[in-house]
Amino acid sequence: MALQANAAAPRLAISGWAVSSPYGLGRQGFTQGLRSGLRAVAPVDAATWPVPYPEAGLIPGFDVRAVLGRKGTRSMDRVTGIAATTVGMLLDEYGTRLAADPERTGLVLGTSGSVQSIMDFTRDALTGDKPYLVDPARFPNTVMNCPAGASAIRHTLKGPNVTVSGGATTALLALQYASRLLRGGHGTALLAGAAEEFSVQRARLERVADHDGGEPQPLGEGAALFLLEEATAAREGGRPVLASVLGSRFRAFQDKGRAGAALERCVADVLADADAAPGDVELIVPGNPPGLLGKQEESALDGLTGNRLPVRSLVGDAGAASAAFQLAAALAEAESEPSLVDRLALITAADRDGTVGALLLRLA
Amino acid sequence: MSGAATPGRGGRGARHRVVVTGLGVVTSIGTGVDAFAAGLRAGRSGAKPIGAFDTTGFAHSNACEITDFDPAAWLTAQSPDDLGRAAQFAVAAARMAVADAGLTAQQVRDVRSLVSVGTTDGESRDLDHLTALQVAEGEDALDEVAARRVWPGRLSAGIVRELGLEDVETVTVPTACAAGNYAVGYGYDAISSGDVEMALCGGADALCRKTFTGFYRLGTIAPDVCRPFDADRQGILTGEGSGILLMESLESALARGARIYAEVLGYGLSCDASHPVAPDRDSIARCITAAHRNAGIEATDVDFISAHGTGTRANDVTEVGAIRQVFGDTLPRTVSIKSMIGHTMGAASALASAACALALRDGFIPPTINHRSTDPECAVDCVPNEAVEAELRVVQNNGLAFGGNNAVLVLGKWEQAA
Repeated sequence: MALQANAAAPRLAISGWAVSSPYGLGRQGFTQGLRSGLRAVAPVDAATWPVPYPEAGLIPGFDVRAVLGRKGTRSMDRVTGIAATTVGMLLDEYGTRLAADPERTGLVLGTSGSVQSIMDFTRDALTGDKPYLVDPARFPNTVMNCPAGASAIRHTLKGPNVTVSGGATTALLALQYASRLLRGGHGTALLAGAAEEFSVQRARLERVADHDGGEPQPLGEGAALFLLEEATAAREGGRPVLASVLGSRFRAFQDKGRAGAALERCVADVLADADAAPGDVELIVPGNPPGLLGKQEESALDGLTGNRLPVRSLVGDAGAASAAFQLAAALAEAESEPSLVDRLALITAADRDGTVGALLLRLA
Repeated sequence: MSGAATPGRGGRGARHRVVVTGLGVVTSIGTGVDAFAAGLRAGRSGAKPIGAFDTTGFAHSNACEITDFDPAAWLTAQSPDDLGRAAQFAVAAARMAVADAGLTAQQVRDVRSLVSVGTTDGESRDLDHLTALQVAEGEDALDEVAARRVWPGRLSAGIVRELGLEDVETVTVPTACAAGNYAVGYGYDAISSGDVEMALCGGADALCRKTFTGFYRLGTIAPDVCRPFDADRQGILTGEGSGILLMESLESALARGARIYAEVLGYGLSCDASHPVAPDRDSIARCITAAHRNAGIEATDVDFISAHGTGTRANDVTEVGAIRQVFGDTLPRTVSIKSMIGHTMGAASALASAACALALRDGFIPPTINHRSTDPECAVDCVPNEAVEAELRVVQNNGLAFGGNNAVLVLGKWEQAA
């Protein structure tokens, strides 16, 4: 029996999820793809995407207007389209009940925005007849809260609307942020997760990022959103509790060689907070970053015997959405594996900028 | 007066009172808390012609730029090349906040902490530079040093690395121009719930062509200076800088005999969900009400409002309309420090929080400078041009952003029980 560290704190639950991924839009393709170990990374069409990468994990055929229609999408960029689409899929399943209380329903979205939109805007300023002849309708795209704000407009989410960013740990930070908002009484239901886009400029920048001297891995894109609320509210609303959020822990490291120790401590702390033992962890979804960071993550998880799910090798480096895909993978696995009922799942992430995080769930 | 005695009663599970004990600021009217406080009291202006980028072709191009910032003076664990200008500001402000709180980095390392930094543009200054390079030299031209530091996570991670923190949650909050209040509010929840003991929270942004151009295109850049609430106001001046607040639980502050600037009483959030850039009066009013409820205060408790107050036609009318909706006909004095430091984007509400904390400690209300005649459509006592002395107990700090992202923070004077 897991005990909350703070007995007074209400138990938070995930009561729904939606995903847009290199397996396509929706949970079914994602779940089937991951379970069959199908690699969703494919050769990049160099004419459309002149990028220094031969392969990528793109959402197949994703086109903002084709998916969302022409209304309100003329200037919408890709990451905003991906976020709005995924928020829409989640609300399509639960929207009627949540729509009754839009001011208590909010969104915490992890993203680093669109470097493509930002650089396109500056390019227009630098190459136009006048330095100010830019498209004003595209200005909001250059601000990183655009995906969250536009999703709220499209789906009438009037509660807290927050954008968070933290590299590979982004989605775990979003879940943590949403949890604190709920515990602080700022809302009653929050959509939390993360979104990332594939773009030419992201690819150019990522190629020269710190890869521990190794080859850059294929980039992925997509979004996963999770409906987070008190377990009692989920049951009263007729929504299933898919998992209880037992807690998360974050730490930082100065040298990559210490990342494993930092993550190991996060895992130990999050287990201790839940009054759980390492042997209780049945499912582990690690971030699997390349190089030394990945080895450090492995060493941190050495003492755990739970089954490991690979995600990054199948969908690519999904940037800000990485850990959102990992969490989605855990829920997908739980849906298909009745033996995981009431077992613990651990999601871990390690970021090259010196941060690690771990999220512990009890699957239902 | 109900405010300071019963904080946070609107939030559930709020078990610890939260106080501000250190301030770090980098602004165009002064770097460091003393210079900033003196600038606020004197009504100093940071406006000047832009030097950050070539402004040829713009009819007017003033901004509140920082011209005396030396990153090497603040960075010890990292090279200035590792961080973009926004992250450099954030790191400098964080180090100042730690020192101002009478702490060493080691003392912060010894406790569990949160670092949350709001931003609008992240390192868009570097993205401008990378774009210009592509335009000038071809698509494959790349400054790899700049390319490695553009991701927004580094604004908070840079602080963590500089201070050598390990038991820390590190998050960047790019919720645009209200981001500073989001970051401070997050620190309030993290400390009051007992999750962490200390938090370094605020915001940072650097002047960039991208954002200047966008506001210019929207017709919202003032030709000379920013005049909030003025009948002749013509818009914003873009600004830059960082404000970081060191916050801790009241127990922690008392145990170490810290000087307390102010207590964080609570905050509220709302989302317009209506328009990408135009503010919504009802939603802002809802945010203010949520903040009052979370802080356990009534509107009548508020001694002055630090407004978002951008100085655009639309913002000031809508914001004052929202304030009126909550406060009725008797409005507290409502000022905008953007008249002095410009619109510092993600740093704006963090720097305004710092200004509110100083106002509470020192007993003054910062002025709204450049003021000539108040617009009857947003008729407030904006404390025109000269600071006033005032005994303050509760102050409210508004932050409004693109995307309809509103955040309102409430600070109170902390007084040792008699």
